[in-house]
Order: sequence, then C-alpha cells, then structure tokens
Amino acid sequence: MPYSSLFRSEEMSLIQLYIPQETAQPTVAELGELGLIQFRDLNPDVNAFQRAFVKEIRRFDEMERHLRFFDAQLTKSDIPVRPLTGDIRTIHARSAQEIDDLEEKIIEHERRITQMNDSYETLQKQYLKLTEMRYVLQETRVFFDEATSRQDNIRNSFDEPTAPLLEQQDLEHGSESLVLHHLNLGFVTGVISRAKMQTFERILWRALRGNLYLKYVEIDEPITDPETDEVLEKNVFIIFAHGKELINKITKISESLGATLYPVDSDPNDRDNNLTEITSQIEARNSVLQNTKNVRRTELIKIAEDLNIWMTIIKKEKAIYHTMNLFNYDSGRKCLIAEGWCPSNDFDKINQALRNATEQSGSTVPSILNELRTTKEPPTFIRVNKFTVGFQEIVDAYGVAKYREVNPGLFTIITFPFLFAVMFGDFGHGMLVTAAALYLVIREKKFEKGISDEIFATFFSGRYIILLMGLFSIYTGLIYNDCFSLPLRFFPSGFQWHDNQTDAQQIGVYPIGIDPAWHGSDNFLIFTNSYKMKMSVILGVIQMSFGIVLTVYNYTYFKKRLSIWAEFIPQMLFMQCIFGYLVFTIILKWSINWNERDNNGELVHGTPPGLLNMLIYMFLQPGVVAEEDKLYPGQGFVQFMLICIALICVPWMLLTKPFIMRRDHKKIRSQGYHNPQMDTTRVSTDEDNEHGGAVVAEEMFEVEEFDFGEIMIHQCIHTIEFCLGCISNTASYLRLWALSLAHAQLSSVLWDMTLKPTLGMSGVLGTIAFIIAFTLWFSLTVFILLLMEGLSAFLHALRLHWVEFNNKFYEGTGRKFQPFSFTLILKDGD
Amino acid sequence: MEALYFNVNDGYLEGIVRGYKSAILNTTHYLNLTQCETLDDLKLQLSATDYGNFLANEPSPIAASTIHEKATQKLVDEFKYVRNNAMAPLSQFLDYLTYAYMIDNVILLITGTLHERDTNELLERCHPLGVFDTMPALCVATNVTELYETVMVETPLAPYFQKISVNDIDELNIEIIRNTLYKAYLEDFYDYCKRIGGVTGELMSEILEFEADRRTINITINSFDTELSRDDRAKLFPNLGKLYPEGHMKLARADCLDHVKAVVEVWVEYRPFFDTTLNSFGGAATSEAKTLDDRFFEYEVHLNKLTFQQQFHYAIFYAFLKLKEQEIRNILWIAECISQGQKEKINNYIAIF
Repeated sequence: MPYSSLFRSEEMSLIQLYIPQETAQPTVAELGELGLIQFRDLNPDVNAFQRAFVKEIRRFDEMERHLRFFDAQLTKSDIPVRPLTGDIRTIHARSAQEIDDLEEKIIEHERRITQMNDSYETLQKQYLKLTEMRYVLQETRVFFDEATSRQDNIRNSFDEPTAPLLEQQDLEHGSESLVLHHLNLGFVTGVISRAKMQTFERILWRALRGNLYLKYVEIDEPITDPETDEVLEKNVFIIFAHGKELINKITKISESLGATLYPVDSDPNDRDNNLTEITSQIEARNSVLQNTKNVRRTELIKIAEDLNIWMTIIKKEKAIYHTMNLFNYDSGRKCLIAEGWCPSNDFDKINQALRNATEQSGSTVPSILNELRTTKEPPTFIRVNKFTVGFQEIVDAYGVAKYREVNPGLFTIITFPFLFAVMFGDFGHGMLVTAAALYLVIREKKFEKGISDEIFATFFSGRYIILLMGLFSIYTGLIYNDCFSLPLRFFPSGFQWHDNQTDAQQIGVYPIGIDPAWHGSDNFLIFTNSYKMKMSVILGVIQMSFGIVLTVYNYTYFKKRLSIWAEFIPQMLFMQCIFGYLVFTIILKWSINWNERDNNGELVHGTPPGLLNMLIYMFLQPGVVAEEDKLYPGQGFVQFMLICIALICVPWMLLTKPFIMRRDHKKIRSQGYHNPQMDTTRVSTDEDNEHGGAVVAEEMFEVEEFDFGEIMIHQCIHTIEFCLGCISNTASYLRLWALSLAHAQLSSVLWDMTLKPTLGMSGVLGTIAFIIAFTLWFSLTVFILLLMEGLSAFLHALRLHWVEFNNKFYEGTGRKFQPFSFTLILKDGD
Repeated sequence: MEALYFNVNDGYLEGIVRGYKSAILNTTHYLNLTQCETLDDLKLQLSATDYGNFLANEPSPIAASTIHEKATQKLVDEFKYVRNNAMAPLSQFLDYLTYAYMIDNVILLITGTLHERDTNELLERCHPLGVFDTMPALCVATNVTELYETVMVETPLAPYFQKISVNDIDELNIEIIRNTLYKAYLEDFYDYCKRIGGVTGELMSEILEFEADRRTINITINSFDTELSRDDRAKLFPNLGKLYPEGHMKLARADCLDHVKAVVEVWVEYRPFFDTTLNSFGGAATSEAKTLDDRFFEYEVHLNKLTFQQQFHYAIFYAFLKLKEQEIRNILWIAECISQGQKEKINNYIAIF
C-alpha cells in the first residue's frame, strides 16, 4: 500500500457502491461523516427538479425556512441561540420517524409563534392607536386653549364685516366650542409621520387654496410600526377649515397620504373624559401586551435551546439527499448505484463505514464496494495537517497539482521561509515576528473558535508560515549580524583598529556571520552589496537546478523516458554551463586571497577580475580571456567548451523529442495500427421529447491525434521559454539582494533618525525625549518594517516560488479533491 | 471623443449594467422553466439562475403574483443601485426612464378613483419606479385642472400636463390624458436624447421612434368604433417616428385594420407586424398564436439587444430596463400558464437571448 506523503498526491480509485435502497439514507449519512468520497454525477442530463429525491429536499427546504423564521424572530427579540457544544458528529437524525417528529415539532412551534405574533401585533396596533389618540387629545387641548384665548380677537375681527352672522347668536354664551360652531369652522385631527408633514402641508395648501388653519406638534416619543417594526417619528396635527366640502377634502387627502385620523370632541369636558378613559385603557392594554410578550419570549427561549441542533440535522439531511440525487437507481435489484473517487488508502475505512451503516439500520443486505478501472484523470488529494496546510495553500493558489505529480508544497515549507528571511534578515525583527507567531500558535485553540476579523483570520491561518519566517529571519539576521540595524557582538571581533591607522588589521575570524567591525566602516555597503548579490545568484541557481532535477521524478513516474534524454539532460547542461559556471567562479573568487603579496610587495594574484564582464565576454569573445582578468589557468578553453555545450543543448532540446516521437508514430502506423474512428462519443437523447430533447454527449475515450506541427510548435515555445527564462530568472533572484538591502537601509535610517539622537541626552528632558522617540521608533518598526516590508518580502518570496521555481517542473493542471463531507458542508454554511 | 471620457463617470455603471445583462435568462433557462410542472419547480429552477434565493423565504405554495412581485423588486433594486451611483447627465437620463412609470401610476390612480377603488389597494399596485411623494393625493382630484394644481405641479410631469386639452375625468378622457402625457413625454425624451447626441442619440432615437410608431398604430387600432374623432386621434400621435408625418395623416383617416395594414406596409421594417406568414425578428419561427402586441415586443427586444453591440452610450441602461421587464413578463406568463394548466400556450413567451 502506498504511503501518503506531501511529495505526491494520494493515489485515488474510482469506486462503485451498490447500496440497498432501504439503507441508502443511513449509509450516505455515514459516508458524509467520514468525508472521504467525491461522488460523480451519474445523471448529468436530468434536470434539477426531475431527480429522484427532489421531494425530500423540498421538504427540508421548507423546514429550513421555518428555522430561518425562528432565527429572525430570535434576533428581533435579542435572545441568543445556544451554540453547538460537543461533537457535531453525534448530531444526526437516526430514523425517518425522528425527522417526521422534528418536522411536526417545528411546524407546531411555528404555528404558535405566528399566532402569538399575530395577537401581539393586533394588541400593539390597538395600543398604538390609543397612544396616538392620547397624544392627539393632549396636544389639541393646547390648540383649543389657544383658540379660547383668542376667542375675543376672532369675534372682534368677525364682528365688523360679517356682523349679521353673529348677531343672531347669543354672544354671552361664549364657550369656545360654540364660537367654533358659530363660525362654521370644522376641524380634522390626526397623526401623520413626520417625514410626510411637509408634502402634506403643501398639498393641503394647494388643494384648499390656502383656506385652512393648520397646527401641528411633534410627538416626542418615537412610535414603532407593529407591521414593519420601523421606528417612526410622528406629528399630531389639527386643521381648521371652513365648510363641509373642504373638511371632506381634507379628510380624503389625509387618509390617502397615510395619516390616521382621530375624531376629537369639540366639547372640552368630553375631551377630558375621553382622555382619562383612554389613559386607563392604555394601562390595561399595556399589561396584556406585557403578558403576551412574556409568553412569546418563553416560547422563543425554548426554541433557542435547540435551534442549532435542528439546523445541523436539517443541513445534513439535505446534503444527504442532494448526494443521493447524484446516484443511479437500479430498479431490478432495488438498489442505488453510486460512483465516486476516494483515496485508495482508505478502502478499509469506507468498508467499515458501510458495515456500520448496515448494522445500525438492521438490514441483512450489505452494501457492496467495487473498484473500477478507468482512464479518467482522478482528482488531486494531498493530506495536510494544520502545519502544512498553509504552505500547501501557497502552492494551490498557483495551481492544483496534476494527479500524482511532484508537489512543490513539500519543499516550500523550507524554501519559502528561507527566501523570505534572506530578504527580511534582521535578528531583532525576526524575534518580534517569531514572538507574534508563537502567541498565535500557543493560543490557537482559543482563536479557532471564532474570528470575526477577516484580516486577523488571514494572519491566523498563516501562523505556522509566519513562525517559520520569523525563525529563519533570526538565522539570517545572525548571518548578516543585524539586530534592528545594529551589530551584535557575541564574540570578539576579528579585526583590530590601531590608533593612528585608517585600516583595521585582521587578527582572526569571526565565528558566525559578518564581523561586527564592518558596521559603520566606509566600505560596509560595498562589501555587503557584493556579498548579498553573489549570494542571491548562488541561491537562485541552486533552487532552479533543484527544480530541473524534480522533472526527473515526474518523467520516471509517468514513464516518459524520452523526456529525460531529450529535455532534462540538455536543460541541466545549459543551466550549469552558463550559470553553474558563474556560481563556480563566484566561489573560486571568494576562496582566493587577493591581498596576498609576494616578497617584492607585488600582489600574487593581480587585481580581482569583474565576474560580470567575464560572463559577458565569455559570449562576445569565446575562447579569449585577457591576461589580467584570468581567474585560473586554461580559463579560455574551459569557457569555450562550456559555450559549445550550451549551444548544442538548444537544438537538442528543440528537435530530438518531436522527431523521435514522429519516428515512433510512423513505426506504429506502418505496422497497421490506426487511430480509432472519430465518433467515439456516446450520444444519449431522451426518447420522449419532454425535456426539450437535451442532447448530452460524453467523451468515452480521449485519444489525441498525432500532429507533428503542433508538437513542434509546442517544443519550440518550450525551448525558447527555458533558454530565455534561465537568464531572466537568474536576474530575477537578484531581488533577494535588493529587498535585503532596502530592509537593512530602512531600518538603519529609522534608527538614526529616531532613537539614536536621544541616547546621548541626559536628565529629565533626555528621558522624555527617549520615551517619545522610543514609541515612535517602535511603532514605525512594527508598521513599516514588520508589516509593510514583511508583506513585500512575502510577495517577492511568493513570486520566486511561483514563477522561478515552479515553472521548471510543475504543471499544476489538476483539480482538487472535494469529498462529500458534513464537516465541510457545515463550515461552508456559516 | 466621448469614448475617451465616458469611463470617467459612467464606466463603472456601464460595467454593472453589462453584468446585469449577462444575467438575463437565455433560451436554455426558458426551456427548463417551461418544463416545470408546478410553481415550486419553477422556484427551484429560478434559484439556479441569477435570481438566486429571491423566493427562499416565501412559504410554498407560492403564487404567480408573488414571483412577479419579487422579480420586479429585484429589478427595482438593481435600477436604484445604478440610479444612486449615477452622475449627471446619466442620472437625468435615468430619471427620464422613470417618468414613463410615473405616467402609468398617475393614470392607474385616477382610473381607480373614478371607479371608486380603495386608495391603498391602488397604491400597492403602482410600479415602484414611478412612485413620488405626493402621488397618493391624486385620488382627491376630480378634474384635470385640480389634478395639475394640487399634485402634478411639482412633479417632473408638470410640463406634460399643461398640454392636456380636456378637463373632465371620465373613461374616454383618461385615455386621452394618458396618450397626451405619453406623447409629450416621448417628444421630450426624444429631444433630450438628441441633445445628448452621439451613439446615445442614435440608438435612443431608433428605439423611441419605434416606440412612437407603436403607440401611433395602437391608438389608431384602439380608436376604431369609439367616440374619438379623427382629428382628436391625430392629435394624440407623437410627432416623431418613421410614420411621421405622412403615415400619421393616413392613419388618422384609417377606420379598419386593413387600412392600417395598407398604410404601415409601406415601411419595410414594419411589414412583418401584419404579415402572419413571415418569421419573427428574433429568428425563431413564430407560432400561429402571435398577436400584434407580441410582434411589437419582439421587435422592441430586438432593438434593445442591438444597443449592447456598441459601447460608451446610455441606451444600454434603457435597454437593460426594458429587457428585464420583458423577462419578468415572460416569467409571469410561464408561471400563469403553469398555475392555470395551460401548458399548450406556455411557449408564447418572447425569448431574449
């Protein structure tokens, strides 16, 4: 049995399950808990609503709708739903009976809640009416009082021009109602939402041509509309107008604009009576309302207890029937036939699950598992754990590995944080990053439960990547001897300064990394630049060569022996002849002591030659190396040979494979084999044209026609890409140097500009300055150097993996294994 | 030049509308919809399209009217999103689109009031795109002057109202009011589009001219055997379109369907409307039951579809609204056919894509 590893994706098998109809539901439930099979759709030409179990799914949809209704009600009443505790595996329906009971229960609850809501709403409406009425009475009293006080004015103003009208009346009988009555002033009172007040006023004014007297008062307390639950602000208004016609018109306009009219008695005593009556009614209603509310609340609390459990059960059941819709039904043997992919290693677990399901349902007919032979490409399944998942996701974001292809995820675990650290190398920053990541790792149990912040969730899911990045940064920081841009002096320096000398004398070798004496020296930048640039090229060539080597694993695994000879070897030679040689010369140059002098004080090895020029002149003047630029004897000849080999590699890569393939193809043809006929598709049409005659064709074989031209073009592109890619990719690795330089410079500038000047100060002022400078320095370190620079280094490391490393061997054309699993389904739903 | 600057203000919205357009149901969707046995099946099928879960919280069995209402709501939401993000002059162009709905709502309300229907019920039936604040007060008015002075004076429709020649509100006059308003609206909108010019002007005048011609033909046909005199009829024709002016003069004198046919057939584009033997515009073979209205709709869909062939213009906003409306009509038709068991007529929808 093959071992599962990160190196290649899991071996998969296409399996067929025969599940007796009566145990189908529990069996699928068991498989869903297991989560190891990706089922294939066996009825792709059947419409969604014509499938076998649509009725059940609809039933669960309906139940889910009820549950959503409960959920909405609970949120409205601010009752928290009890979260799921314990294993979600234990929550599932055991029998059809249980589902029926649950449905009944839910419907019963829903009926009760709806009923209570209805009565609550009616009560609230009445309550609302009463409150509005009370406001109208209270507020209009003010209007009427005002009217009374103005009574004299009104009368006086009417006395003169319209005297006859009033003369008949008894003027001594001067209550305001009579006055109103005598003036034939009718009035309309009501309540309208404040937003509509302006429109209302305008329309009234226009409709009545200004013949009205309108007063309004704002109600302080906002009023809730029982139907929509919106909180509205309302106004009480009273309109006086003259004549029945106008009053009718006002009533009509008010009603159409959504105002509620409340008739008010014109007699003040009646009004007062009304008010007291209404106030007492409101109190009575209030207690009824409170009661209803409490009953409803208890009911809802009862629901809140179980809501999540019900939701889980129903989601699971729905998923089960959705899956069963993918199956074929064999009516002769009364069983369902399912097909799907599963990891070959897990046959035992699946068999066990099938047996469990059969036993639990008490059936005597077992389900049968069959392995099918197939030419179809299986999905890619790579087992990951919480540590490797982040790294694998980096790879999957580029492309999911082809089935059983070498998976770069394995190497990414080390190379990714390493390349990151080369750019981010700083002991102190590495410590901070590690500490942050360690915190996330140690508290992961707590954080796992619920992270609402998206950005934080991203960091959290990458916590192990960050941890490794931090650790590697500590390492590279030690090598660069940088800690917040300052040197660390763990050991005595290998250089000694003499009092009156501008040069330091070497007295030993610093045990690890760059000697702290370099820091602050004039040629520090020249030294580190040269060192980091060369290091970048060396790392790049190593990683790319490694990538080319990995192709061999793919070629041998997929039995493409030809590709090893026609592609791997020329590619490797090309790479090594040019850039491998460059690496060789870099190391050679490092290992020569250019300061060594002979007895006459002359330099033994001459001046050090520039490697860049060497590489350029290697192509421009093959075989010729100027005497002063020589690194070693016979260099011209070696370089000439290397160029020859590299040049031979180009046609080798380009031509061998297509021509050998063509020869083989011709040999097969001459032996009398032919491609099968082209009509290898199965066409199935529905006999009855009810489904609109949907024609579905399924590819039975995938035979590629041999086309020499196409292969040649493909190979041509591939060769050009590789040869040019070698050059540009090597150059691309120089980003390691650039980013590392930028990081070091930025952190040293930050140090020099903020914290350093305050260190020399003393006294209280110095302390204050130090504190301010320290906060500034620390926050800038975190936000600019750690977060922004870290992100930039992360992206560059990502690019080096995706483009420079992966394109050497990785196809990434697979599709991901998506098993039918309750855990995944429930997680998606959240 | 307009292509150069178009995207500064309107590029985002054009992208959005093109996205909405790609969500319009195609033939395969309709094929699936027409196979449904019940409205619940229809709901399931629609949930697989861009309509998504718009019916998920409706208790089954659902009614065809609920589907219609929810689908319209979705369209209105989309339109409002576009309107809220629009800058001038696109915002004004979009406002113009809503005026047509306002006219419909006004007419609906005054007709309802005439028949003494409940105002709230009427308000619910109004199209949400044509709602304006003072609309409910329409039911108070008893004649046109009052209508204008009380309510319409502050709406964008006010200038159109000034052109109405009748005053009393009765059955016949309501039709006259409707058509006069629409005539004024079309002419105004046409002028506006011409002022915008460019591709917008070109495409919109094509569409609006057809709209005007369609109204002209409809007015003519509907006015047979009514009290409407020929002169009055001619006054209701919008003064634009391919039929203007010669066609209008002839149509004003027509008094049976054959006359109309004879007049209209002079224009090649319009010949298929009255020719039952020809194929429809969309290319699909017409069934025998296609009415004149269906043919108009088909041609309208065809014109609207053409607008998507060009870029950097406003006509796609108009076209999107109209196509989506047609789609909702189609869904309603299918839903009604299913609920009333009239499966044989179910294919009389107008396919869009």
